[in-house]
Amino acid sequence: MIFNAVEIMTPILLAALGGLFAERAGVLNIALEGLILTGAFAGILIAAATASLLVGMLAGAAAGGLLAVVFAFFSIRLRANIFITGLAVNLLAAGGIPFVSTWMFGTKGVLRFPQLQRMPRLLEGVTSGINAVDSLLFGHSVTVYLAWLLTALAFVVLYRTPFGLRLRALGAREESVVLAGVDATAYRRLAIVISGIAAGLGGAAISLRLGVYLPNISAGRGWIALVAIYLGYRHPFGILMAALLFGFTESLAGAAQGLLAIPGTVLLGLPYAITVVAMIVYSALRARGRRHRRLIDSHF
Amino acid sequence: MAEKPAASRTPVRSRTPGTVIALLAALLVTVVLLVAGSPSPLRALRAFFGGPFSNIYYLGNMLDGAGLLLIAGLGVGLAFRAGVFNLGGDGQIYISGLVAAIVCLAIPEAPAAAGIVLATGSAVLVGALLAGVCGLFKYLWDTDELITSFLISAALVPTVSFLIAGPLRNQQSNLLTTVRIAERFRLLRILPPSNLNLALFAALLLAPAAYFLLYHTVRGYELRITGLNREFARYGGIAVGAYTVVPMAISGGLHGLTGAFAVLGTHHAAIEGFTFGLGWNAIAVALIGRNHPLLLVPAALVFAYMEAGSKAAMLHTEFSFELASIIQAVIFFMITAQVALPRLRPRLRRPETAA
Repeated sequence: MIFNAVEIMTPILLAALGGLFAERAGVLNIALEGLILTGAFAGILIAAATASLLVGMLAGAAAGGLLAVVFAFFSIRLRANIFITGLAVNLLAAGGIPFVSTWMFGTKGVLRFPQLQRMPRLLEGVTSGINAVDSLLFGHSVTVYLAWLLTALAFVVLYRTPFGLRLRALGAREESVVLAGVDATAYRRLAIVISGIAAGLGGAAISLRLGVYLPNISAGRGWIALVAIYLGYRHPFGILMAALLFGFTESLAGAAQGLLAIPGTVLLGLPYAITVVAMIVYSALRARGRRHRRLIDSHF
Repeated sequence: MAEKPAASRTPVRSRTPGTVIALLAALLVTVVLLVAGSPSPLRALRAFFGGPFSNIYYLGNMLDGAGLLLIAGLGVGLAFRAGVFNLGGDGQIYISGLVAAIVCLAIPEAPAAAGIVLATGSAVLVGALLAGVCGLFKYLWDTDELITSFLISAALVPTVSFLIAGPLRNQQSNLLTTVRIAERFRLLRILPPSNLNLALFAALLLAPAAYFLLYHTVRGYELRITGLNREFARYGGIAVGAYTVVPMAISGGLHGLTGAFAVLGTHHAAIEGFTFGLGWNAIAVALIGRNHPLLLVPAALVFAYMEAGSKAAMLHTEFSFELASIIQAVIFFMITAQVALPRLRPRLRRPETAA
């Protein structure tokens, strides 16, 4: 179960890391869902065409990045409402992919690519002697380790580079950055493109691991990622924990399905339900924390 | 949740050039896709432009669609005016529609008026609850209503589909649908054999009512001020919290009404996925109509026309595809974009750097 949780969390983690850059630049990126979907579709298509998983991953990232360029052009350059354009990205992915799929394969349903090689696993056979640790750390798909690496990279970029400092300052106090002579729109656009690349990578990680493309394969992971950003206190390592938490709940729910005899259709809503509950609880706790701090402040 | 630059959270207001450009772009994309996807492009185009008017059936269905779009669009627009965003509308229509159907099926012997009022009332109540609760969380803990309203609907929609396709399914039908509601609960049809029914008049009454509420009452004024500038509204002594929760609830209630009318008037049963993206289209309608209740009437007509046209054109293409969602996407990209304006108008203030 732990093993599954780690595999499930990976696309969420990747998308959330990307979303974190946008969030820190002061942009709530609700387009993650569509960007993941695009990455998943483009990734497996190119991987099958080139018979290379690596090229497929890169193509997924590129597709997400490209769509994010369009998104950033409309929302930042043309100053269109960011939520409406974000919705446009999601709808474009939801409507455009079936169109391309029917045009190329004659179906908007499941696309199988049996010739595709399996996602390689790393550190197989390595053991620490403790079962839980083993299934947490060893023998996972390459993408899992890639996501961990990128978590560390996101931390370094955000907290140890001038770029990251400016990005964070942009979200926290825009005037200060603008007065310091930083081109705020350029930073925002870049942040959105980064989130597109990461979400596209996350999408490719989903489809390439399965070796099939299913309609709506993202299944709400973009929204989960969005909430994971807050749950992780807008910090890469916090997001790692939040993504793991979502991975666990989903894998637990999968295991409970057989025991509780909940119909499969109903369970499709479960990731959303877990996410919304997590989000409400988080914001309630945060609001209480704020009130406490205010009380303490007023005493001293 | 995070501190956003104020500009990105201001209500959605677009200007006329943006609206025209967006509609033209949507039209252009539609034509290109139809020409690319059809073996006989001319016939597909003729179907797109002329189809909705070719006979009473198509015309009536288009007007019926426009009526539903108008009610849901009013729900979206009202929330926008108050500066809140109800993104769960499509799910709210779906869920409330099922509720209306269940009420009708539970009391098949009740008098017509009682049944209709009860079914519609419960649908409105359920919709209002689903959205209102998001406004409440926003008010209490600053939980982003945009995300929660979307997620709550997304969590419940599969359960509705399960109920329609499972326990409540009409075994005699090939469709995934509930049993049809009793004849006396069905709203009067106006242009048979089309689906057009009395709900259209309700929609046409609601638009001026919403206009009156927004522009000729104190509450409407306070709602709009809250949407324009929360801090200013708070400073002016307006109960900002109430104008977070109530507009969300009204928005959900109007979506609930849409769901009830879709079942009682259009389909006479809850069919799986009967909204066909109605809630998303309503967002487009609200944007085209610039969230103004009276402008929403032509906006709903234009969008219903484009939708009916694309359905008619689909019959002349090699394959069917979700043209509607692509039209939506184009409109959503363009409608709030400020394309030529910054250059046409003298710069009175420092250009904003915010999104």
